[in-house]
Amino acid sequence: MSEEIAPHVHFQYAGVRHQADTAIAGMWLFLATEVLFFGGLILVWLFCRHWQQEAFDAGARETLISFGSINLALLVTSSFVYAAGLAWIRTNQVQWLVRCCWLTAGLGGTFLVLKVMEWSIDLSDHLFPAGPFKVPGPEAGGARLFWSFYFVATGLHAVHMAIGIGLVGWVALRARAGRFSAAWYTPVEVVGLYWSFVDIVWIVLYPLIYLIGRNP
Amino acid sequence: MSREHRNLLIAWMALLLLGGVEFAGSFVHFSADYRPLLLVPALVMVGLVGMAFMQVRTGPSLSRSFSVAALCWLTVLLGLGMMDPFTRAIYAITH
Repeated sequence: MSEEIAPHVHFQYAGVRHQADTAIAGMWLFLATEVLFFGGLILVWLFCRHWQQEAFDAGARETLISFGSINLALLVTSSFVYAAGLAWIRTNQVQWLVRCCWLTAGLGGTFLVLKVMEWSIDLSDHLFPAGPFKVPGPEAGGARLFWSFYFVATGLHAVHMAIGIGLVGWVALRARAGRFSAAWYTPVEVVGLYWSFVDIVWIVLYPLIYLIGRNP
Repeated sequence: MSREHRNLLIAWMALLLLGGVEFAGSFVHFSADYRPLLLVPALVMVGLVGMAFMQVRTGPSLSRSFSVAALCWLTVLLGLGMMDPFTRAIYAITH
């Protein structure tokens, strides 16, 4: 029955746009749960910094702001590139969508490589909250809390990034196989929402981790 | 270049500019209590990504409802979670 309406459209929908709107709303509902998931992390940051502000900020001063800033630029650019690809598929320019997807995945991969390099430097600087720790004295406790937050937050974000890179790569492969056109590109839209959300998470984490505690 | 691509380009440049503003702002000395103000450019960036890249405004009304609901519940989570710490007197620990 679905074939009677149009390819890809299931029987319960009036048309392609109706089905696409439903898929987009479903993704937004999922993203709403993700907002609350990462909201818990923001609450942890607020709580810990409120009670041990000086020590928490002492921990934050040890972060590598250059890595965080480059990664912010990379992610913002990747969201822009993916959105540009989405705009191109609306005018049936599939090849441009494929190029944008690969560039987006490349930018995301570069983000992860830089993140791993940053973690490596952090660990060699004795900033892992368990064991010998770089920040001495009475500020050690609060600084350890900051670095616990840091590793949990950046680790969870990196997992989301890895999933996003996989999804963007999947979109690129499907687009190259001719599965998307101006008539139907719902998965491209849905994956784009996820990718932009991962970008938003980093936009919020960036000042929490790298900027607020760094009082010159 | 289409109008949509031009708008995306403008949004991208605005995002980089806002990122630069908060980066530069972090090198200005001001009270630790007011340092969370550095989140303001980030929140503007979130709005910009939502409008330009996620198309919240032009998307289906149901998705707009879910995005607003997410913000409401985040406010409830952070508000309830921090109500006690923000309103509690802090006493020095004496040994």
